[in-house]
Amino acid sequence: MKDLNFDADKALAKEFLSNFADAVGEPKYMNILQEVANRKIRAIQIDLEDLFNYQDFDEEFLRRVTENTRRYVGIFADAIDELMPQPTEAFTDDDHDILMTQRSDDGPENMDGSDPHQKMPPEIKRYFEVYIRASSKGQPFTIREVKASYIGQLVRISGIVTRCSDVKPLMQVAVYTCEECGFEIYQEVTARIFMPLFECPSRRCNINKTKGNLILQLRASKFLKFQEAKIQELAEHVPKGHIPRTMTVHFRGELTRKVAPGDVVELSGIFLPIPYTGFRAMRAGLVADTYLEAMSVTHYKKKYEEYELRADEEEQIRSLADDGDIYNKLARSLAPEIYGHEDIKKALLLLLVGAPHRKLKDGMKIRGDLHICLMGDPGVAKSQLLKHIINVAPRGVYTTGKGSSGVGLTAAVQKDPVTNEMVLEGGALVLADMGICAIDEFDKMDELDRTAIHEVMEQQTVSIAKAGITTSLNARTAVLAAANPAWGRYDLRRTPAENINLPPALLSRFDLLWLILDRADMDSDLEMARHIVYVHQNKESPALGFTPLEPSVLRAYISAARRLSPSVPPELEEYIASAYSAIRQEEAKSNAPHSYTTVRTLLSILRISAALARLRFSETVAQSDVDESLRLMQMSKFSLYSDDRQRSGLDAISDIYSILRDEAARTNKLDVSYAHALNWISRKGYSEAQLKECLEEYAALNVWQINPQTFDIRFIDA
Amino acid sequence: MVGVAHDCLANPLGAVRSTFEKAVSSGSDPVNFAGRDWGAVDLFRRFLFDDGGLSQVPILNSSTIRWIQPNTLVRFRGMVQDMLGNELYVGAYKDGSVWRTNKFVDVAQYPIDSCSETRIWERRMLYCVPVPGLNSWTEPPAVVYRSMDSTTQHGEKRQRLDESTDNMDFDVSDEGFQGSPSPKKLKEDGHPSQSQELNVEGTSSSMSMLPDVNRDSLPCLVKIYDCPESDMKLNEVFEFVGVFTFDPEFKVENDDDEFANGFSEDVLVQLPPNKVPRLHCLTHRKLAVQDFLPSSPTMEVKPNLVKDIRNALLRHLTAVLGNDGVAAEFLLLHLLSTVYSRVGTVAVGKLSLNLNCFNKESVPVFGPRLLLAIKNLLPFTHCISLTVDYLNTASLAPKKDYETNRLITGALQLAEGSHLIFDETQLEAGTLNSVGVENARLLKTLMEMQKVEYDFQYYKLDMDADVQLLVLSEGKSNVLPADIVLPFQPSSVDSFEATAEALEAWRWYLATVRSLPHSIEPEIQKVIENDLVEAKQADRSIGSQDFSRLLTMGRLLSMSFGETSLSLEHWQMVKELERLRRERIK
Repeated sequence: MKDLNFDADKALAKEFLSNFADAVGEPKYMNILQEVANRKIRAIQIDLEDLFNYQDFDEEFLRRVTENTRRYVGIFADAIDELMPQPTEAFTDDDHDILMTQRSDDGPENMDGSDPHQKMPPEIKRYFEVYIRASSKGQPFTIREVKASYIGQLVRISGIVTRCSDVKPLMQVAVYTCEECGFEIYQEVTARIFMPLFECPSRRCNINKTKGNLILQLRASKFLKFQEAKIQELAEHVPKGHIPRTMTVHFRGELTRKVAPGDVVELSGIFLPIPYTGFRAMRAGLVADTYLEAMSVTHYKKKYEEYELRADEEEQIRSLADDGDIYNKLARSLAPEIYGHEDIKKALLLLLVGAPHRKLKDGMKIRGDLHICLMGDPGVAKSQLLKHIINVAPRGVYTTGKGSSGVGLTAAVQKDPVTNEMVLEGGALVLADMGICAIDEFDKMDELDRTAIHEVMEQQTVSIAKAGITTSLNARTAVLAAANPAWGRYDLRRTPAENINLPPALLSRFDLLWLILDRADMDSDLEMARHIVYVHQNKESPALGFTPLEPSVLRAYISAARRLSPSVPPELEEYIASAYSAIRQEEAKSNAPHSYTTVRTLLSILRISAALARLRFSETVAQSDVDESLRLMQMSKFSLYSDDRQRSGLDAISDIYSILRDEAARTNKLDVSYAHALNWISRKGYSEAQLKECLEEYAALNVWQINPQTFDIRFIDA
Repeated sequence: MVGVAHDCLANPLGAVRSTFEKAVSSGSDPVNFAGRDWGAVDLFRRFLFDDGGLSQVPILNSSTIRWIQPNTLVRFRGMVQDMLGNELYVGAYKDGSVWRTNKFVDVAQYPIDSCSETRIWERRMLYCVPVPGLNSWTEPPAVVYRSMDSTTQHGEKRQRLDESTDNMDFDVSDEGFQGSPSPKKLKEDGHPSQSQELNVEGTSSSMSMLPDVNRDSLPCLVKIYDCPESDMKLNEVFEFVGVFTFDPEFKVENDDDEFANGFSEDVLVQLPPNKVPRLHCLTHRKLAVQDFLPSSPTMEVKPNLVKDIRNALLRHLTAVLGNDGVAAEFLLLHLLSTVYSRVGTVAVGKLSLNLNCFNKESVPVFGPRLLLAIKNLLPFTHCISLTVDYLNTASLAPKKDYETNRLITGALQLAEGSHLIFDETQLEAGTLNSVGVENARLLKTLMEMQKVEYDFQYYKLDMDADVQLLVLSEGKSNVLPADIVLPFQPSSVDSFEATAEALEAWRWYLATVRSLPHSIEPEIQKVIENDLVEAKQADRSIGSQDFSRLLTMGRLLSMSFGETSLSLEHWQMVKELERLRRERIK
């Protein structure tokens, strides 16, 4: 075995504690020690990272500390004993202090020094507890990865707490008094079970051969709080086809009562074996049980607001943000296995990003969460999209309109069967507070829930006045709904209002209502047939043509984007207002409008634009954002419009022409810039290729002239 | 290798030790043996597979446990039902100056000096049970092994074993048809005689439909050494060969657990060695369906032979189904189906079948016939009668019990390649409670995605399943949406007979043909694509699931002829079958 020099290491520890200075140059640990001396805190956490950053960093020492942590907890405690400063503040003595003074008073004459049991163990004098915390760099282990070779080492593990025992006292130092000689005898307890002493080992009793009877003094003994817990692997860490592993964790002292069942935690601690004792040892044969002696507990935070970015993630986000095409890239990475539906994915991405909440001076709140409703024929992958979004969102609840539980979507007052008290139980929407609530089968929702959801979607609260309880619960959630048309399939012979089986009051609350129709289209049918034949032939999905971003990267990017709250610059106000009035007018002209444009629509445009600006990491909304939001609104009903157009006998090219002509007539100009034209037609859901085709075709008819460089349009006055 | 120094069969530990000593004496440091083999496993592999020792190794089951001696070599065939995690043990220690090993044993041979140098190694513990729903014909013929002990003195022990296995926390939830003999009756006389079980073959009386409930299922705690974790997954079926330890005289010491840890999930308490035997695994192999054929005839897959068997089997199925040829064709494809790939959320290759238009008269006639026929053809079969009561009370999905730290099995924890019949005809109108709603949802996910959600309380884990699902119902089943819905139209009730040889051939056929490779040639691919598009243009309600189903049928049909690539002829047959099916639905 290696010759370990613990005294030298104690000196090293002492030097580190007294000399370590943190980023601002404060002696971090000496400050902590002072607080401990003043009885302000008990726990002294030694960060391994600090050891790493220490000026006289000794790699060997760090390795020794990590690999034999339990020993070094003791060494650091010894070092702290020697370093402990005098208290600078007065505090009242408790009985522990009184006992200590008494002991030190009658110490000298009472001690005969030779016997280890009579020497006061340093443990009993200590007011503090030492913990060594593993460095938070890198990924924590899963329980599965902690192997026999890690015994005795400091490891960092993530998991979910499944069981917790009560907090019990654990004896740390047992103190006895002898009936014969009156000495205090100390016994340090390091295991969970100890063999009490019965005969006085002091010299006086030995010499007198009196076999003094020892009496355990519970008041004088030192106890520690002790709690046992079980942690289990997180679902995402369990390999396919395996059962999650569990591990026992022991919490002592200040670390007790930090966890509750269901908490997702990251623990650092020492992986230790406990040999069985007594009958167990006989039964178990050679087996040793293991546990983790906890050294620190960190709760995982799952909300965007509390999402802490790791250094490598920040790097990744920066490089992604520099990439011009981030909007498309992120959108495509949502549910990559679902083919097509690019614009829907864009809308869903914006739902994840959301807009900032606004609070007006008079206390009125304007929500920032986007609500989206996907309405469409069966079998267009609505539910899969919903489920995928829930997986990406850090906090998401998936439910169906016909939610099975009595609590339903909003909230319910229930009688507790044990205490008979009325308790308030939140439904899916309340549970999804600050997250996303995906509601499938929205059209089949309970009538009661449907009325309640009005409030949730605009005021973002759930109010309850039932059984003597009046309260209002927060439900700041983005609603993502999926619904089927009234007759199962979208019936093109009927009006949209008839098809969409939802009251207008509810519909207007959705920022985007997306109609996904399964149209008879030779190309898409062939595409689908090819895809399925490929899957059956090759046992895998066809290559996507791009590598989708990991959900974790998506989450990190979105959380970074959500920190911004972009504002609308004054020069854009006019632009948005005119766009809004244009939509209103258009709707007034048509006799069967596809949408209900209200002031809410204007707010929706602003929300979507703000979300787009967030994605660009910009503090101000740009005109391109507004254009894109108008385009998305248009695209959401595209499948309907294209049908209209077909009916009215207009093909895409002539429609583009009429749009441009109307626009030129409206502004009373003969020139239309290419960028402007592109804006207008994309709002109506046409592509750039179609615009180019139109430009060429009509230029050939001498309707307009096209600038060969800029493609700007000049109408030839007829 | 000159000869085996030790009798691998009767004294495997001696062999392990001698190889260890040899390895140490040849200069290897035992420190390096952690997680590695030093030649012991090679020795056994050679003995078992090269020297044909495998057939001499007795199989551990509830009847052989009576006479198998502890610390001998045994085989155990079972499904991994639960994984208990790792166990650390003193793998090697210094006894004086000599290194000794504790690998493959529970208790050290020599007492370990507490201060001697020790090495801690780890092993994995798997809780295995006999494959749920195993049919009796799969049991290999009882060979008289060199019995080492008389059975009389173990009679008492045996009794105890029975009690223990009866109240173990798993039960094979087979709810037979109502006409089947009650399991209770059989339980009374203890052990159903071998002959009674064997006459299932080839008889048509419903009396021979033995439910598997009373089969003594002997669980086994298998300890796995040095093998990558990914090798063994939950619900997979393995044959383990290893050292058997069992301690019937062991008494549970009720030492007060006041000081012991507060959680009574100790393996020793939960699975005491006097009830659950241990097996220290030396080597294992994964078993597929064909490994359960009693006498595996090593027939070659010749198209002619396959075609003959196919025709005979089809005739048999037609007879079983009261002369409904179309239903027999679909049933055959269904019996061959297996999930061969998962793409996204789609399980490719599944083909669940819903035979509807059953009524009160035809169910008692055809239900048992169908069940019996399938029991005789496939190794693992189950049948569940769906009633409102069953849905409201049954625990279908396995659930983790944190009190005992065990996974409590559910009716849907099934081995790969199991066959499951749902009899929906018993279902009547009623209210489902929350358990029932949850169960209905579980069944739906199983039907749609071949996945079962295991309940770990704090979260749910999806486990992939590969179960052939057959639904019998009056109307189209909405609780259990099957891939193929086919109205069942029997025309006569003939008796059906099958000789033992024929059954054997059919079993071989069903087990072998389904693992054939399969491909679609580019020309056929084009034809299929065009046909699919055409079908969709004609009927907008056809979706991707229907496309997928047709392709699966094409694959299975061409496989059923023993061919490895889809021919135009077979594709036409698929379309024809689909046309016949649609005609019936109208």
